[in-house]
Amino acid sequence: MEVNWLIILDFIPQLLKGAQVTVHITVVGLLGGVILGAIAGLMRAYGNAVINAIAFVYIEVIRGTPIVVQVMFLYFALPVLASIRIDPMTTAILAIVINAGAYIAEIVRGAVLSISKGLTEAGLAIGLPRWKVIVHIVGPLAFRRLIPPLGNQFIVSLKDTSLFIVIGVGELTRTGQEIMAANFRAVEIWTAVAIMYLIMTGVLSLALRMIEKRMRIL
Amino acid sequence: MSDTIIQFRNVSKHFGPLKVLDEVDLEIHKGEVVVLVGPSGSGKSTLLRCINGLEQITGGDLIVNGMSVLGGNKIMREIRQEAGMVFQQFNLFPQMTALQNVAFGPQQVRGLSRSEARALAKELLAKVGLAEKANHEPAELSGGQQQRVAIARALAIKPKVMLFDEPTSALDPELKQEVLNVMRNLAAEGMTMVVVTHEMGFAKQVGTRLIFMEHGKIAVDGTPRDVIDNPPNDRMKDFLQHV
Ligand SMILES: Nc1ncnc2c1ncn2[C@@H]1O[C@H](COP(=O)(O)OP(=O)(O)OP(=O)(O)O)[C@@H](O)[C@H]1O
Ligand SMILES: [Mg+2]
Repeated sequence: MEVNWLIILDFIPQLLKGAQVTVHITVVGLLGGVILGAIAGLMRAYGNAVINAIAFVYIEVIRGTPIVVQVMFLYFALPVLASIRIDPMTTAILAIVINAGAYIAEIVRGAVLSISKGLTEAGLAIGLPRWKVIVHIVGPLAFRRLIPPLGNQFIVSLKDTSLFIVIGVGELTRTGQEIMAANFRAVEIWTAVAIMYLIMTGVLSLALRMIEKRMRIL
Repeated sequence: MSDTIIQFRNVSKHFGPLKVLDEVDLEIHKGEVVVLVGPSGSGKSTLLRCINGLEQITGGDLIVNGMSVLGGNKIMREIRQEAGMVFQQFNLFPQMTALQNVAFGPQQVRGLSRSEARALAKELLAKVGLAEKANHEPAELSGGQQQRVAIARALAIKPKVMLFDEPTSALDPELKQEVLNVMRNLAAEGMTMVVVTHEMGFAKQVGTRLIFMEHGKIAVDGTPRDVIDNPPNDRMKDFLQHV
């Protein structure tokens, strides 16, 4: 079969739909992941022994297992264990939330702990309650250090959505797979799919670089 | 008795098995300028930091302006508003200008309005000789200037006592004096001060009392002139020769 690049044009609408699903999973999943990660990271940085241990176990379990195993567990094992059945799309989003959350927790913890202890003490010493020290002093400083590694994680999570092919979510990779199964145009389809991922990660990188530039790193 | 502002009652402080303060009794009165000296590791910083609860005492009781440091979080915050602290490393908030650093406390903890807090901050920056640096960020200031902003920040809470932990140790010799001058003026206004320092000139001129610490205990307690000119024991004599 000869390579015919023009054939890609026929499949663009279908691929765009897949890309849309990818973006949807990524955006919603990361929104949840950032919230979960911030909570777990703060638990690690500020929690007492018990709270710290809970966050630690969560982070280590997730970082120590592949995301494919995690999504399989959510989709196939959870219904058996807890009679909770969730549809593939929700499973995919949940997997990103839980997975990215663990990595983001470590990022948040690192950023918070990188802020000099002296600044926290200076805040406490003027009579601020600890939460105000976190919100007004440590938080804004840690946030600037958060942006680069957070951006990195966003890109990783976006690409991780391709693994949800295993539970049949119609995201971009799955869409490519389906098209190819019908016409065997491997070179054209996978090139197109790759380019679409590159566009998405490229836009993300660019946006992050702009945010970084606008915020002076202290 | 009523002019006692800080009272250590048999205070101990342990870090794990390490006993850093060993049953300290100490009473500090309003208007005193107490200079705290002693070898490294003798517990000077720890003693100071117990006063405003940056370290928690593990034995005895410590009363600051009538409130016990054991009284819980809310009391502790009130104590901190009565005992301002100046650190060796300045610890200015890097994302804020000098003015914002000083105005932040009064606005957040004393309930001043934004404009009241800014007015107070301007006044205090002028007092430490930095009126024209109000809109500079810490990174744009010299160490001596940063430390003077830090003093203004502590004063902005209107404390009754000021705690200084080696305020000039991180500064080049030529910058030490500008900070010591601010402290001298503060003492002249009658501010109660507890100062950990190696500046014996300052101790003699400004201090009303000198305490020499050793192994978590107060080994010597007297007037600076007496103690410095006639060290009561050999270890203190030895110490003075090395600062
Ligand atoms: N957070 C801590 N955890 C464990 N040990 C500590 C801690 N802070 C201080 N120490 C120990 O307590 C002892 C007294 O420390 P402190 O800082 O009070 O001494 P210092 O007199 O201020 O000394 P320096 O002149 O070096 O500042 C030292 O042995 C120190 O190592
Ligand atoms: Mg010290």
